[in-house]
Amino acid sequence: MNNSIIQILLIVLAPVLGGLIYGIERKVKARMQRRIGPPVLQPFYDFLKLMDKRKMMVHSTHAFLGILHFVSLWFALAVLIMGGDFILIIFLHLLATALLILAGFSTRSIFSHLGANRSAISVLAYEPVLVIIAVSAYMLTGSFNVSEIYASTTPVILKMPLAFVALLAILPIKLKKSPFDISEAHQEVVGGVELEYSGIFYEAVYTSKWLDYMFCYLLVFMFAGNNWLLGLGLVALTFIYINALDNSTARVNYKQMLRFSFWVALPMAFLNLLMTMFHLL
Amino acid sequence: MALNKFRTKSPWILHYNAGSCNGCDIEILACLAPKYDIERFGMINTGNPKQSDIMLVTGPVTKRSRERLVDIYSQMPEPKVVIACGSCGCSGGVFRGMYNCEGGIDQYIPVDVYVPGCGCRPEQIIAGVVEALAILEKKTKEMEESGKLHNDPIEQDGQLNRRNVAAII
Repeated sequence: MNNSIIQILLIVLAPVLGGLIYGIERKVKARMQRRIGPPVLQPFYDFLKLMDKRKMMVHSTHAFLGILHFVSLWFALAVLIMGGDFILIIFLHLLATALLILAGFSTRSIFSHLGANRSAISVLAYEPVLVIIAVSAYMLTGSFNVSEIYASTTPVILKMPLAFVALLAILPIKLKKSPFDISEAHQEVVGGVELEYSGIFYEAVYTSKWLDYMFCYLLVFMFAGNNWLLGLGLVALTFIYINALDNSTARVNYKQMLRFSFWVALPMAFLNLLMTMFHLL
Repeated sequence: MALNKFRTKSPWILHYNAGSCNGCDIEILACLAPKYDIERFGMINTGNPKQSDIMLVTGPVTKRSRERLVDIYSQMPEPKVVIACGSCGCSGGVFRGMYNCEGGIDQYIPVDVYVPGCGCRPEQIIAGVVEALAILEKKTKEMEESGKLHNDPIEQDGQLNRRNVAAII
């Protein structure tokens, strides 16, 4: 009973928490560069400002797909928080990304097309790894339900450490962080798929980025089983790792990203799958 | 309007070089670097006209760049302000009266704040942006259009050709 209240609160407050994560991230990133950085509530100031801008849209389908992206991502996050089917969660997240890619292709802007192409390539890079992690979690707990992983008394990270390393390898791709930020790439393709959004419609895409933070950090949190203190520690470590990586590396091209994903992250996930299949840990 | 004050808290900047010598542009980028760090006021250099509030323009408007200048300006959603950076942007500077340049940005789009100097110092740019924020807070969301484009429209085959309008003026 108490647990379900926390779950519902988490689902309702997910954009707010994600916005706070983004605000803290901008602050941390600035401190890493010896800057002062914007206030922690800066994402919410941006949000309120964008509400007040004049509404411009390319065409109604484009704006609608952006809002649908936000809604479906929130739905995927809700299923993850409620402890639903892991495969279903992964494909709901894929659906959300696919909607945004579709929105990117629906305009005539060349940068939007490039961004959509690159988003599709990033999906190709991280999706197989996630599916294999889900399968190894199935081998471990005997169920695809995430609630089984949340309930396990021994932290999952001890049972499948290589899966965690593989997840750390693909998280920068998923969060569009350097060195794998080709799908956003502000200096190259000016934000990619989000390029043509403005005003209140950009807000949907901007807020779904916060939901993406929540999604990724919940995946990390999941690896701690029912030990939520360890989970928060893992999330904090991952947060610092991702920001340090973002600040210290340059962008690679899509071939290098795919090569890294297929030759490093994917074999690691496979090795982890074999280890869980034969109960080596 | 209650939301007006949040405009000053997250102004996103669009930087356009209308034929400048790159001197002012370097100073604008210096504002974003750790020493002056204008991101602490919530400013981001977006590079995307559809999501920005403040347009920082440098350079005397060359005849090649003026169509893009008006294009980019009209792509920005209101409320928006324009800051002319550097002597060239304000008045044409040393290029005033030359055959390939116009005399400043206000010949084509309405300018709210002029930041003089060759090149303008980062402190001056920050002061100009703060001035612009006060204007941005008071602005309405009404359409602001380039006067020259709408005073004498040119019709070709029954269609308004924007490129030619800019080229003939």
